[in-house]
Amino acid sequence: MPAGDAFTPDQLWDLERAVRHAETASGLHFSVYVGGADSETRPFAVELLNELPDPDHSVLVYVDPAGRRLEIVTGSAAKRQLSDTSAGLAALAMQTSFAAGDLTGGLVTGVQQLGDHAHLPTLLHANEPHTQ
Amino acid sequence: MILQLSGHTLLVFVGIPVLVVSVVALLVFAPSIASGPRYRPGLSWWAPPVWIGGPEPTKPNPANLPELPAGNSTATAATGVARTTGGASASW
Repeated sequence: MPAGDAFTPDQLWDLERAVRHAETASGLHFSVYVGGADSETRPFAVELLNELPDPDHSVLVYVDPAGRRLEIVTGSAAKRQLSDTSAGLAALAMQTSFAAGDLTGGLVTGVQQLGDHAHLPTLLHANEPHTQ
Repeated sequence: MILQLSGHTLLVFVGIPVLVVSVVALLVFAPSIASGPRYRPGLSWWAPPVWIGGPEPTKPNPANLPELPAGNSTATAATGVARTTGGASASW
């Protein structure tokens, strides 16, 4: 990877669109961080999650391209909506793309998958009084 | 045998092959040039960190992040801090 920005403007736009779509579908806050870690990746990713305004309702996708590590961290409330199994499936999809060198495609697919798994079912007739 | 190279001969046997090779090379490399830099697993990564949906629009410097608690993968219970975390990990 030559020196410069990690993503082109088009790639950034695709990523931001995927994040917005996931947030709309799930009601959770999604964040994607791509960069190196000064320490172990998992504690670093948790620390990044805690930097967010509402970490309990947030999902952080952390990618270390140099270390070839991926971490998906969910807050305490987001964890109830997005199970570790679902996160693992999304991580598997991203892992496959990353191994092929497709960083942007893997992130877009993974974030979309996370948003779909955390999708909140629409409540029908929630505002109507119960009648028998 | 004396080989006489005229301008027309040079054009046919040198100019046209060079032109053809240049066009083929351009067609081969144009997509990668247009799509920008590509991530190659196993090679170094020099790009600065990118945080989409982060706390602020500017790209943060990891060196400015607070110190991590040693050996503790979950953060302490405090306001604005995730108490327990879930998720998944992978490497490639």
